[in-house]
Amino acid sequence: MKRANNQEANAEMKHSETQIDAMDHILAAEEEIVPSSGFAAATMERVREEAAAPAPIPFPWKRVAPGLVLAAGVLGWGAWAAVRSAWPALHEFAQSSPQIPVATVPALEEAGWVVLALAVSLGSWMLSMRLVRRSGML
Amino acid sequence: MTQTATSAPEEMTDLKEVERVLAGDTAAFEGIVRRWQGPLVNMAWRYCRDRARAEEMAQEAFVRAWRGLAGWRRESSFSTWLFALAANVYRSELKHFPTVDVPLEEIAEPASPANQYEEMAEHRRSEAVRRAVLALPLRYREPVILYYFHEMDVSAAARTMVLPEGTVKARLARGRELLRKRFPHLNETGAQGSSAALRAGREALR
Repeated sequence: MKRANNQEANAEMKHSETQIDAMDHILAAEEEIVPSSGFAAATMERVREEAAAPAPIPFPWKRVAPGLVLAAGVLGWGAWAAVRSAWPALHEFAQSSPQIPVATVPALEEAGWVVLALAVSLGSWMLSMRLVRRSGML
Repeated sequence: MTQTATSAPEEMTDLKEVERVLAGDTAAFEGIVRRWQGPLVNMAWRYCRDRARAEEMAQEAFVRAWRGLAGWRRESSFSTWLFALAANVYRSELKHFPTVDVPLEEIAEPASPANQYEEMAEHRRSEAVRRAVLALPLRYREPVILYYFHEMDVSAAARTMVLPEGTVKARLARGRELLRKRFPHLNETGAQGSSAALRAGREALR
């Protein structure tokens, strides 16, 4: 696909190299504008302002570092404590097999098909949007 | 036509002035601004077709160039670096504050000109084509703008966009194809008049 596009592009460029058409004439003959008389002075004024401005204050890593280390430690400790307290419950849940009533099995199967259909629709919509964008129509 | 390429002496002048600026002489940057203001403002004009905005964008490009001068690695010429930086500034400016976009489909191809109004119709047709360029999606618009800005030089456009030549060629071809679809009668009716307009344009710039 990409190679075909490149071949098309090369053919187009070869065509344009040998034949300058009306569109080339129009776009190549674009009118030129002259910058206003004060443009250079105004630009230099901005540059001088920039030059005169004090250098940006560097981020105070030395002062912030202990706080960051402390915050990371607290978060890490909190996560470890949470996992440790939830571990027995998680272990118990993993041991027990889920009990699904027989009556709900067909309904679950249908729901599965609906989810699959929705996923296929979403996928095809995303693919078509991508193709349209690539073609430049959007 | 805007001068977008530099000769060796000009390149040397740029280099000397860059060295002076880097040594702390801010005033030396004025030479760079004066030499490149025309090309940078015209390049910005092609991106937005709004004179005041073009000057604002070009000014921003110069300020960024001043800030980033130490980052120019001299692997490419100063002009190549400056154009690439400017294109980057213009692109992001237009992403944040787009020009008033008219969908390409809404730009009508003017009807065939009657003899007495040929010149006026020619002007209208040229304007419609240029407006249509601004209505192209950005990925195709930029190669078209830069290709014609660099006097139909694909490699210069590719260097400015910092993209491989093949990518620029493909996008340029697609952009031109979209324009041709929008203006199917352009080659039948416009070639002669456009040649006259091109000649007139070149004469006016001499």
